[in-house]
Amino acid sequence: MAEAVPGLAPPLIDGNKTLGRITRDVCAPIERRPGAAWWAGLAVSLAALAAGTAAVSYQIAVGIGTWGVNNSVGWAFGITNFVFWIGIGHAGTLISAVLFLLRQRWRTSVNRAAEAMTLFAVMCAGIFPLIHVGRPWLAYWLAPYPNFRGPLWVNFRSPLAWDFFAVSTYFIISATFWYVGLIPDLATMRDRMRKGVRQRIAAFLSLGWDGSARTWQRYELVYLLLAGLATPLVFSVHTIVSWDFATAVIPGWHATIFAPYFVAGAIFSGMAMVLTLMLVARVVLQLQEYITIRHVDVMAKLVLATSGMVGLAYLTEFFTAMYSGNPYEEFVFLNRAMGPFAWAYWTMVGCNVGVPLLFWFRRVRQNLWLVFVLSLLVNVGMWFERFVIIVTSLHRDFLPSSWSGYTPTIIEVTTLIGTFGLFFTCYLLFCRFVPVIAIAEVKGAMMEDRHEREALAPAHAEEAVA
Amino acid sequence: MSRVYWLSLEQRDLAGSSGGAQPEFLEAAAGDPSRRDFLKLVGFSVAGAAAASCSPAPVRQEIPYVAQPEGIVPGDAVSYATTCGGCTAGCGLLVKTRDGRPIKVEGCPDHPISAGGVCSVGQAALLGLYDNLRFRSPSLGGAQTSWPEIDTALMARFDAIRQAGGAVRVLTPTVHSPTLRRGIAAFLASFGDGEHVEYDALSASAVLDAHEATHGVRAFPRYFFDRAEVVVSFDADFLGTWVSPAEYTRGYALRRRPEGGSARGWHAQIESRVSLAGGKADRRIALPPDEIAALAFDVAAIVEQGSGGSGLASELAQRLMAAPGRSIVLSGLQDLPAQVACNRINAALGNYGRTLDIAQPSNQRRGSDRAVARLLDDAAAGRIAALLVWHTNPVFDLPGGSAVSKVPLLVSLAERPDETSAAAHAVCPDHHAFESWADAEPVAGSYGLTQPLVRPLGDTRAFLETLAAWSGAPRPALDQVRETWRDTVCPVDHRGSDFEQFWAESVQTGYAAGDALAPAEVRARSAAELDAALMARPAVSADAIRLTLYHKPAILGGEHAYNPMLQELPDPISKVVWDNYACLGPTLAARLQLATGGVARIGTAAASLELPVLVQPGQDEQTVAIALGYGGQITERFQGFGHHWFRSRPTVGPNGRVGLNAAPLIVPDRGLLRRHAADVQIAAAGRTQPLACTQEHHTLSVPANLSFGPPAPRPIVQEISTAALAAAAPEADGGEAGAHAGGDLWAAHPMPGHRWGMAVDVDACTGCGACVVGCQVENNIPVVGKDEVGRNREMHWLRIDRYYMEDESGLHVANQPMFCQHCEHAPCETVCPVLATVHSSEGLNQQIYNRCVGTRYCANNCPYKVRRFNWFAYDHGEGTEQLASNPDVTIRSRGVMEKCTMCVQRIQEGKIAAKRRGEPLRDGEIQTACQQSCPAHAIVFGDLNDPSSEVSRLSGGRRAYKVLEELQVKPAVSYLKIVRDARPAATATEIAHHG
Repeated sequence: MAEAVPGLAPPLIDGNKTLGRITRDVCAPIERRPGAAWWAGLAVSLAALAAGTAAVSYQIAVGIGTWGVNNSVGWAFGITNFVFWIGIGHAGTLISAVLFLLRQRWRTSVNRAAEAMTLFAVMCAGIFPLIHVGRPWLAYWLAPYPNFRGPLWVNFRSPLAWDFFAVSTYFIISATFWYVGLIPDLATMRDRMRKGVRQRIAAFLSLGWDGSARTWQRYELVYLLLAGLATPLVFSVHTIVSWDFATAVIPGWHATIFAPYFVAGAIFSGMAMVLTLMLVARVVLQLQEYITIRHVDVMAKLVLATSGMVGLAYLTEFFTAMYSGNPYEEFVFLNRAMGPFAWAYWTMVGCNVGVPLLFWFRRVRQNLWLVFVLSLLVNVGMWFERFVIIVTSLHRDFLPSSWSGYTPTIIEVTTLIGTFGLFFTCYLLFCRFVPVIAIAEVKGAMMEDRHEREALAPAHAEEAVA
Repeated sequence: MSRVYWLSLEQRDLAGSSGGAQPEFLEAAAGDPSRRDFLKLVGFSVAGAAAASCSPAPVRQEIPYVAQPEGIVPGDAVSYATTCGGCTAGCGLLVKTRDGRPIKVEGCPDHPISAGGVCSVGQAALLGLYDNLRFRSPSLGGAQTSWPEIDTALMARFDAIRQAGGAVRVLTPTVHSPTLRRGIAAFLASFGDGEHVEYDALSASAVLDAHEATHGVRAFPRYFFDRAEVVVSFDADFLGTWVSPAEYTRGYALRRRPEGGSARGWHAQIESRVSLAGGKADRRIALPPDEIAALAFDVAAIVEQGSGGSGLASELAQRLMAAPGRSIVLSGLQDLPAQVACNRINAALGNYGRTLDIAQPSNQRRGSDRAVARLLDDAAAGRIAALLVWHTNPVFDLPGGSAVSKVPLLVSLAERPDETSAAAHAVCPDHHAFESWADAEPVAGSYGLTQPLVRPLGDTRAFLETLAAWSGAPRPALDQVRETWRDTVCPVDHRGSDFEQFWAESVQTGYAAGDALAPAEVRARSAAELDAALMARPAVSADAIRLTLYHKPAILGGEHAYNPMLQELPDPISKVVWDNYACLGPTLAARLQLATGGVARIGTAAASLELPVLVQPGQDEQTVAIALGYGGQITERFQGFGHHWFRSRPTVGPNGRVGLNAAPLIVPDRGLLRRHAADVQIAAAGRTQPLACTQEHHTLSVPANLSFGPPAPRPIVQEISTAALAAAAPEADGGEAGAHAGGDLWAAHPMPGHRWGMAVDVDACTGCGACVVGCQVENNIPVVGKDEVGRNREMHWLRIDRYYMEDESGLHVANQPMFCQHCEHAPCETVCPVLATVHSSEGLNQQIYNRCVGTRYCANNCPYKVRRFNWFAYDHGEGTEQLASNPDVTIRSRGVMEKCTMCVQRIQEGKIAAKRRGEPLRDGEIQTACQQSCPAHAIVFGDLNDPSSEVSRLSGGRRAYKVLEELQVKPAVSYLKIVRDARPAATATEIAHHG
């Protein structure tokens, strides 16, 4: 074991791995038969997915009236879930693209899994704009496609049309980026597999990877370009999602702060979700030496930083409302904090601003159980943030005569559970069929790290090599 | 010019007998008939036209006319004039029919009584016509039979009764139809002991009895609210349910319109609960019922002495004495001393003959509680051999009414099953009012005609014809009506002596206003002549909890409880649908630890009920108010009502019906059915029963804890004081309300042709809900049931927002009709991703149903929350009920947004008509459904590009404002501010004198 070197951060990868060992370790989960925990997890996830599918089928068959939404609160659970899942996705892109450009080597242990999470989260998110409409069988009308209705195009002034572009672009770029990053590892899998269908699929998907310097050079270039392309998406997608609300006239939605506020919130919730997943995966997949305390610590710090931004946004919103002198605006925020949905508001503030304060303490950041619990709470808080923004703004707006309440139905709750089912089903399958850690990248990062450490502390490095 | 066109042989003979060609025929046939000519033509030829085109069932095979009847264009709507049968007010109607079926009830603008107003009940009567539950054939002993068989069986029984000298009674509500009165009299004349008993579920028997005492005539006065500068109402909801609300509302609104030119009326309402009239009053006082009676007595004493008194009584008396001959005092209490006091005040002020008329009285109420009480006694004692019950339901709405089932021969003439028909031995169903000939005389000397608009849908028979058959001289109803009109109406009508011409004109217009009858001198008796018992101050039972029973404008006595549209019309004050409940004042509710939705047990000496509670601000704190007319057997039809899914809840209550019948709480007291009682026991029953309410929040001020400063009311309903109004520049020309000082960020949309807009007078609106039902019928808006309303998913395109305001003059209610504001910068339009809602070049915000995918983003972004979503595939009726749909308006599918269109189908119809005439559209030619029927004329629609149109004038007037103007969405709808009369008594009278 590499000990902590005074004055140096702990090593990225513990356990003095050789390069071959890394390949074997990372490929082990996909080469051995899955254990009982995996099957149990898959069973639970599939059950949740089945329940969600049943709920959505019932809703599509009977009507959106099976949700708790009403004349005043036209959006609630559905759009809350949409924004929540889109937000979850953001950490993946941030880790894979932004941190890549910023040369944060620690990202290599988590980027594959985080990107997969992005994809699955966007898939979950993408369900909601389709099923929340009154006539889901016509939801394709939201897409601009050549047609014989005039031709009749979408309304390019509507943020929902922008959403369509933002989310679909995001999904396509994320999927491409993930796949391109996967190519060297697919080649590794191909080379390690016995002949058979799986091997042929891996061979096909690895696009004839030969590991030559030229291939590597081109690969690095494409990866860099894609990272450059994906980086603006980290900011654009959630900015556009926030405009769904910010361009509306409804007090509580109509705010210029929404774009940065939503982006910070998205990274915040995404990091929390990455933490939650990684903490489980490293134990179940026995990757403790690849996803180390150092990774957890760095991500906890990121959560803390974004929590601060989100907290600032909450304060700014209140200040703007009070300072504006707009009575409707003032009311909406007081109503959030003290009205019928105050419990949701304070859950949100507690989980998003209060709880992450514990991350100021190194001991907390390094206590994995505590980090796990806190990251879960952040996820809950961020779900409630979207719920608070959507429901509390709509349920009491301008005319007191149309004030109403909102109670979710079991169909809505089951649909939310169903998307978790979908997410975890995809995630478990991902863990089973694809290396959860980018083998090629982590090798590079480890070697660089090791060389650096050698240069800085030769004595310790010698010891370690010996 | 001797060629004559006719539509049927009958019409040809008619035309021939009046001496050759009718001028209407020639005009109509010659060229472009105006709408009015067209109407006349078709009205004249109704019998032939109806016969040619009627179809009783949904059309399965459509065959074009081989020879098209003259004047009938398939797909073109035709209006016929008739008289409303919804209650006994006798309002004039124009019923729009298309392809032989009535599709919309409108007010007849020229009618002498109602002048274009129709209430919600009248408009929803259309659903009653097509109701699937109507009796389709007569039945005897529960078994269906035919008319010849039932006639034979019943006439044999009648013969036996005649020979035995048995007593026969005909029990009806007020009958002011001269023909029906003759028919009943003729039928009863054949019996030794025959009597026609009239009673009203909404009884005003005390008013009639009081006039018998004070004036010697048992009559109900005709009130002229347009002549009254001061109105003092002791618990009479004359704008909501009392006797003839549409007629009274019109007069009342005329008198209070600041633009009207005359002195604005002043109105005090003394009541126990919050009524529509109370909500509009300048001074509203909440008192228990017995104290109201005592107050009326005190005011009478002061007015008769000309001075003295103190406190409230003196304040009211001062107001009244300042307007002698220009005031009305009335009472809805079923209490003789209180009514006598009102008569004494009116007599002392010289109001009789000026603001209310007893010489030419109203016939809208004739019922006698004393007579019906005697009838029930006789029935219970077995002294009655046969009882015919028409249009009333004594088993349901009279305490002890089930005594009628002891009569050996009980014949029900109901249209649909009710408690009485269930107990009846024979059911001989009457036609719907739209299927038969009939007439009306709602006010002495003012006649109305009812004509058939559709071939009877079932094997029913008009009551007139049934009576004639049983009298041994079967005659068609038309002949009977014509005979009455030939004998009695024509001679007093001024339009000439030729009956056929008179008849033709009357069928066209739907009414005949006779010359004023020679006013009989009716003298008020002096106080000394009155019975001392009537002159005693009514006793007040201090500190006891009292009960008052009231009626709701849509359900009335329960005869319309079958109608889902009326059940779902929110109560104008409480906004609750599909239920009755016990209204308690906030203090009383807090004392009893009851909240809205908690069930209370309310008991009197006679009966007890368990009803959910509604906490009602402004209600007297010692009085419980319960609506009558609920809990009828017919409401069991709603057991499966509404859209079904696995979490849906029933529309009916735990008893399987809508609400509970409170009639057992009515107190029979010295010949009157008293609707108030003292010494009521009330206690929490310890369970809850949720009420479905369309409006959660009560006031315009936000809750105090949700405001940084003191809670200020939102400027959504605005007021202007009488002083400010007088000081304001008269009718500032140009400059529509809402021209924001900050200017506009965007270029205006070019609207070169028309620019449709509306003006809604919040001051005139009483909240009655006629517009809501008119809109619903016109636009095929589904009724969704209690569960969906409880989930805040009512579908009404037009809702009436109700806000309370309390000041030193009592609780005031503001009613603000709210519907799509057709904003010029519509927030809904920019956000729709599929362009399903767009702006027209005429300023309409249009919803394209078949493009809508249902994102509901538009509804979220609507500041007025007027968009309505089809959460499910809502029910639009089945069987004949579907015939009530307006063929001009699409039925919206599930998952589609909808909202007010400003009746775009009517705009289109009007524009096409104008184009065919080759003339520009006239202002007022197009009327939206809500505007057409408003008894207060509170809604005006028109072209804002035409500076001379009424809507432009009102929108630029002193009172105009726009709701949420500061959002700069530029609504096309202007609201007119409420006028708050802050004049002290002295100035008020001064102004009144100058006016």
